[in-house]
Amino acid sequence: MMAGKGADAEERKPVLELRQVNTHYGLVAVLRDVDMAIYPGEMVCLLGGNASGKSTTLKTILGYVTPSSGEVVFDGEVISGKSTTEIVRRGVSMVPENRRLFGDMTVEENLLLGAYTRTDKAAVEQDRQMVLDTFPVVGERLKQKAGTLSGGQQQMVAMGRALMANPKVLLMDEPSMGLAPILVDQVFEIIKTIRSLGRTVFVVEQNANMALSIADRGYVIQTGRVVLADTAANLLANPMMREAYLGEL
Amino acid sequence: MPAPLARAWKPALIAGIVVVYVSAVGLIEQFAEVYAIGTQVSLARVLLLLPLFLAGWVATRTTVERGERKVLAMPQAALSGAVTGLVGGAMVSIVLLAVDAIDPDTIGEVLIAVSTKLLGIVSFDQSLGTGIVLWLVLGAVVGALGGVVRALSPGARRVVLAGPLTIGVLAILQRVVSTAIKELGFRPDFLYDSKTSGLTWAGGIAAAVIVTLAVVGRDVLRSRPEAAAAPAARPAAASTGLGGFTTRQLVQGAVAIIAVLALPWVIGTALSGTVGTVMIFILLGLGLNIVVGFAGLLDLGYVAFFAFGAYATALLTGAQVNTTDGAGDPAFSLGLNFYVAIPIVVLLAAGVGLLVGSPVLRLRGDYLAIVTLGLGEVVSTLVTSKWAEGLVGGPQGMRDITGGDIGPTDFQNNPRHFYYLALVFVLLALYTSWRLQYSRVGRAWNAMREDEQVADAMGISTTRYKLLAFATGGAIGSLGGALLAIQLGSLTPRSFDVNVSILALAVVILGGLGSLRGVMVGSLALVGLPGFLREFEEFRPLALGAVIIAIMLLRPQGILPNVRVTEDIADEDRDQDAWARAAAGQPATETSAVEPA
Repeated sequence: MMAGKGADAEERKPVLELRQVNTHYGLVAVLRDVDMAIYPGEMVCLLGGNASGKSTTLKTILGYVTPSSGEVVFDGEVISGKSTTEIVRRGVSMVPENRRLFGDMTVEENLLLGAYTRTDKAAVEQDRQMVLDTFPVVGERLKQKAGTLSGGQQQMVAMGRALMANPKVLLMDEPSMGLAPILVDQVFEIIKTIRSLGRTVFVVEQNANMALSIADRGYVIQTGRVVLADTAANLLANPMMREAYLGEL
Repeated sequence: MPAPLARAWKPALIAGIVVVYVSAVGLIEQFAEVYAIGTQVSLARVLLLLPLFLAGWVATRTTVERGERKVLAMPQAALSGAVTGLVGGAMVSIVLLAVDAIDPDTIGEVLIAVSTKLLGIVSFDQSLGTGIVLWLVLGAVVGALGGVVRALSPGARRVVLAGPLTIGVLAILQRVVSTAIKELGFRPDFLYDSKTSGLTWAGGIAAAVIVTLAVVGRDVLRSRPEAAAAPAARPAAASTGLGGFTTRQLVQGAVAIIAVLALPWVIGTALSGTVGTVMIFILLGLGLNIVVGFAGLLDLGYVAFFAFGAYATALLTGAQVNTTDGAGDPAFSLGLNFYVAIPIVVLLAAGVGLLVGSPVLRLRGDYLAIVTLGLGEVVSTLVTSKWAEGLVGGPQGMRDITGGDIGPTDFQNNPRHFYYLALVFVLLALYTSWRLQYSRVGRAWNAMREDEQVADAMGISTTRYKLLAFATGGAIGSLGGALLAIQLGSLTPRSFDVNVSILALAVVILGGLGSLRGVMVGSLALVGLPGFLREFEEFRPLALGAVIIAIMLLRPQGILPNVRVTEDIADEDRDQDAWARAAAGQPATETSAVEPA
């Protein structure tokens, strides 16, 4: 089913596309001629080691940094060079690394902040209900300070917060980062749940095994260049992948 | 080490140091002639023994050892308190002996407050030997009292503390209360001794008894079964009130409104002036609170807006500049009515907020603080400079500022009238802050303060909200400046140095970042108290430093923190409250003055 979906996607227009994107921090080139495309309903993962340019890819998409050349196209329009606010407003939302909830605010306020750019109250309420249905635990803790939740619960709130924006693309920055193995399993369960909602997800991960086990396709990035792009199944079988990222010799 | 001593040494050590410190800086000598009650209890003696009481209190605190709560029973509490007081007293005695051995007047060449006279005062006006015995005995007694009071149930503690605290408050607010009594047409002789200006024993004890009875009465009423059932009946009561308020709330509100309106007529002219200044700082605090408390932007140059408000008001209303030979017309001047000028000043100040804000948008925390400090200095230096002499009078300042009077009012010369003008401004600023706090904007500021980058990812335009914070904060601060111009009728650049920024920040932090009630309490404590207790004036910076350190250590969220922050740790906070009140020695005054009862 996954493969079939991936194949279908090839014929449609990508919802998010990076075209020959170069990003520099000062004189240092961090992304070099990166090409990526994410199609509606897909789940794509971006794999790579430390300092390979994974996070910068997300920052470039979200407008924290402006690419020095190339363009980011979202929903048919160039978004590179636009402000983060504008990009979020158009339908990109992110689950940041380490969750980064607003710890002193209640869970409810965190969720509402996710929908900050939206003005359609009825639809926001619908999405709130959807989030609470998806993560019943979150519903039990609405009045609690977000900072007092456990790691796994916080991850659910972070995902819920991102979903509240009703995004066309949901970005996730290393959702398994800094979590105990048992929580990593939990997080991937959460991502599967979100995937089952039919969302388009672009997830950056170091845990290649886990990520590929739930994604449709994957990109592998090394020192700022995309070195591999294939379906998740093929990547899992790829000898080079097995050696470099999947911990097998 | 035996158990009581193990608990005792640290608080005792701190108490001893505090006693030596307040003596060595001259606070004790200053207060030696200020009588709390009768001629036996001077504020100096209270100040000498209070640290030991608090040490006894602290030493008796519930501790957790190896996962077990150690609550002290009454006899142990008394013992542990007594040991603490004794150790503290012994420490002071050792210092006294040492000072006597070296010769106080020699030490006085370095620490100018130390003298033979001070040694006498600290020895309770007895010989050194008797003084030391007294320190040991009184130390143990006072420390034991501290321990015993701590070990009481909260209800009993309230009853026991009510009397002494009443006396403390009446003694400290002697000027305020006796003026109030006079203004109401009575003679304060029954309460205050006209010679010592302290409380009389009869009056003090009577007041203490009345308050204690009131506390007991209230507790008894509350514990009656009908009262216990009242919360359940509250919804019904609510429906009977007006506009969703219960009758009780309406009565409390009415009392509060009357109290606020009647205040200047009760406290007299001189103190109304002090309260006027307090209100100017409430405005500064409210404005700065938006920038620092809501938006989390540490601004050390806030005086810029204060200065801008004052000078802009002066210029727009046709004030004169001081010149070496009298007064002259400034380079720019409009003869507007004060009330026409104010909205313009506020708008311009918001514009200045944008100007100040835009170069520092990318800066955070420490860097922002340094840059704003510099910007504030630029403004202070500009208004003082020769260069600005033609416009704002330079070092000579400005004069003949409008009184802003409407009909029969006289804001400049009658502090009572000024109070009402200031009240209107403060209410305006309070309402604005309050609305902002719980609005969409408030939530955005909150998010931005906690995590700017993630706030960005939520689609919150942090650039815009930072500018908005600087603009709103600046606008409110300029109101404070405008009030100052009206109050003084003249301006000198000396009123606008970096100390104003620091004091305003202290007001906000002390009261509790982001808390509107906190700003009022902070302003009353830091600006009002020195005005009420004149002997204190000289020591304001010293006390300010000590109080800020104590508050930040014991209660990092401020005296009255923003409610949002405390929801989850209410118990811990209540405990801290008791501490802070005891530490302040005069609890409810500041708090109850502003709490909507």
